[in-house]
Amino acid sequence: MNKATQTHKRWLWKLLLLLSPPLAIAISLSAGSLDLSWSQLFALLFQRSGTEVERVIIWQVRFPRALLAGLVGAALSISGVTFQAVLRNPLADPYLLGVSGGAALGAVTAITYGLQSPIIIPLAAFIGALTALLLVYLVAQAHTCSSHTLILSGVMVGSLAAALLLFLLWRSPADATRQAIFWLAGNLSLADPDWLSWGWLWVGIGFLLLWSQSLNLDLLTQGEETAADLGLHVGKTRLILFALAGALTACAVALAGLVGFVGLVIPHICRLLWGPGHRLLLPFSALLGSSFLIIADAIARSLYAPAEIPVGVVTATLGAPFFLYLLRRKGGNL
Amino acid sequence: MIEINNLSFSFAETEIFSHLNFNVNQGEILSIIGPNGCGKSTLLRLLRGSLKAQKGEVLWEKTPVEQISARIMAQKVAVVPQSTTIHFPYKVQDLVAMGRYPHRKNLLSFQNKSDQHAIEQALVMADILPLAERPVTQLSGGELQRVLLARALAQNSSVLFLDEATSHLDIDHRLELTELLVRLNRDQHTTIVQISHDLDLAAAISDRILLLTEHGNIAQIGTPSTVMTAANLQRVFRVDVKVTNNPFTGNPQIVPLINTAAFKLNDLKVHLICGGGSGKTLLRRLHPTQAQITAGPLNQGDSDESVASILNITVAQEVPFSPFSKQTLAATEKLIEQTEILVITTQWWGIGNLPCLDLAEKAIKQGTPIFLLSQQQEQDYTGGKAWAKIQNLQQQGAISIRNEEHLLEELSRQVNPSSIIGPG
Repeated sequence: MNKATQTHKRWLWKLLLLLSPPLAIAISLSAGSLDLSWSQLFALLFQRSGTEVERVIIWQVRFPRALLAGLVGAALSISGVTFQAVLRNPLADPYLLGVSGGAALGAVTAITYGLQSPIIIPLAAFIGALTALLLVYLVAQAHTCSSHTLILSGVMVGSLAAALLLFLLWRSPADATRQAIFWLAGNLSLADPDWLSWGWLWVGIGFLLLWSQSLNLDLLTQGEETAADLGLHVGKTRLILFALAGALTACAVALAGLVGFVGLVIPHICRLLWGPGHRLLLPFSALLGSSFLIIADAIARSLYAPAEIPVGVVTATLGAPFFLYLLRRKGGNL
Repeated sequence: MIEINNLSFSFAETEIFSHLNFNVNQGEILSIIGPNGCGKSTLLRLLRGSLKAQKGEVLWEKTPVEQISARIMAQKVAVVPQSTTIHFPYKVQDLVAMGRYPHRKNLLSFQNKSDQHAIEQALVMADILPLAERPVTQLSGGELQRVLLARALAQNSSVLFLDEATSHLDIDHRLELTELLVRLNRDQHTTIVQISHDLDLAAAISDRILLLTEHGNIAQIGTPSTVMTAANLQRVFRVDVKVTNNPFTGNPQIVPLINTAAFKLNDLKVHLICGGGSGKTLLRRLHPTQAQITAGPLNQGDSDESVASILNITVAQEVPFSPFSKQTLAATEKLIEQTEILVITTQWWGIGNLPCLDLAEKAIKQGTPIFLLSQQQEQDYTGGKAWAKIQNLQQQGAISIRNEEHLLEELSRQVNPSSIIGPG
């Protein structure tokens, strides 16, 4: 293939991805137990036709749900980008620092003690995630937060949380266990819609702060010493970045449980298309991450409608083969 | 410009430097040399303030290094690191643009005109303009090293630290980089502190050399010719080196003596009658065999004499362009009396060196074995006198040899009669 067509093709991809969030929302609005055709959807959106039931389903059920999926997808993608850059490790994902373990422990504790309200579970998960982050930070801080200490203590805190989690599940009644598993595999139906605006505020601020650190992220990919040689205050910057990415992940996990793969795959795909510079990488990862999760959620809702399969199952079954395909084509140079 | 006062630094329990004192002067090229693991890179980090010394101080224009902010420090000094692997496929120009980081005014980019000018200039100076659009992950080691150099140049700092920045470069770019450093130093008065393993290049461009010992002490600091002595280098690097002067530039040039000898002539005493360059190959080949070599008579300035003096071989010397005096011949005779083997490599015979053959005839009568490098009658300019003496020597048992290799084989057979050593 010559270079011109290749660039051309890449442009097409970029354009498609830029337009993807509204497209994904449209797909999401039409999918579900009540099947709506595209023309019906179009009429409903722009000509205000359709029945009252349909309008309620679209505007009060599916639309907030799509926004929630987009929010979670964006948060996971940009924190994935951040972790991969700061740890200089393409396998890093948002759950690396024990955030997932802590959140899971918090949520499952709430579930097994019968506090199954859609207000309480996200809150418990959020508190659990932040506790885990704080613990990891306190351990790593003794060694000026070097990448290795951070990763290792994150993994340890994660395993501790996993052990406690298994103990809780072993003790709890069967229906609570079932619900816990549903949460653990990633689920967008448990959070109260009231959390949505808080979540957007949180993720919006988090994104802007991270974006302002684009150049610092670029520098950190060159290694700590080089970054310091170029005038970056490495310790402080890294702490800020971890705190931001950790908080974004905590927010995503609290609202949707453990949705895997988005934070790992989306950054890689975006890096292929827009290069490693974080000024472009962060916003485009946010866009692509949200579209991806919106579509994955639409699939999760409609495949066995009216039942829902956990959205984490869909992201992994879509994401893993695609990642393998990329790996085969590009080797280690993702 | 940079003062290092009483600096001590330990890493974990290991002391790396203790009570180091020296200065880096404004506008000089200072090369730090020393064996692996002596702490050269650590010293650069200490100078830059990336590492903090336990004792002592590093002053930049009288300001303690730890009081200078990261950003100001990056404006003052740029570092060209040892080549690293880069995981993220930044374009070359984007990587070089990172050098503008300490000068940035915009949170998200380097849009400034002066930034772009500096980046472009750095690309040109490092000779990587054609690579500007390439991802750095696809570059060769040498190309990458030039990219790292360009990034440092884009910093527009008045001080440049280089940590073995030429180690991956081919000779072409190594020279180019060296010239670039000299040019920066001369035109922009950039102060350059470099760690180098290329001792010759270091000697050629440096104003001063800092020689560190294995234990991180300063062996010596000073001009290349005072620091780069065979004695200093042998003490610090524990290798046999010779220091000569580069025939083109006159700079000190280090010649490591690699022991490739297949032959071992343990303390065998060998005397060479040579001259006019006929003996230098043999002298060089004999030197690592641990034979005890003497030579003479030789005129000073004879190319055989130069080689012998570099190799620290005892020579019966005569002043330049003079026939051999009685004293010189007597000195030679003394050397020949003490030797176990006499080798004659001289090819051209005239009135001047005819007495050497008399000495040889005396020696063979006393039972000293003589080896004669193949001789030709046409190269006798004494009207047959020399040729007659040579034939006489051969009749009395002098052994003709084809070349240096042949001689070494014969000699090692004499030292170790039972075993055959050496190739063939």
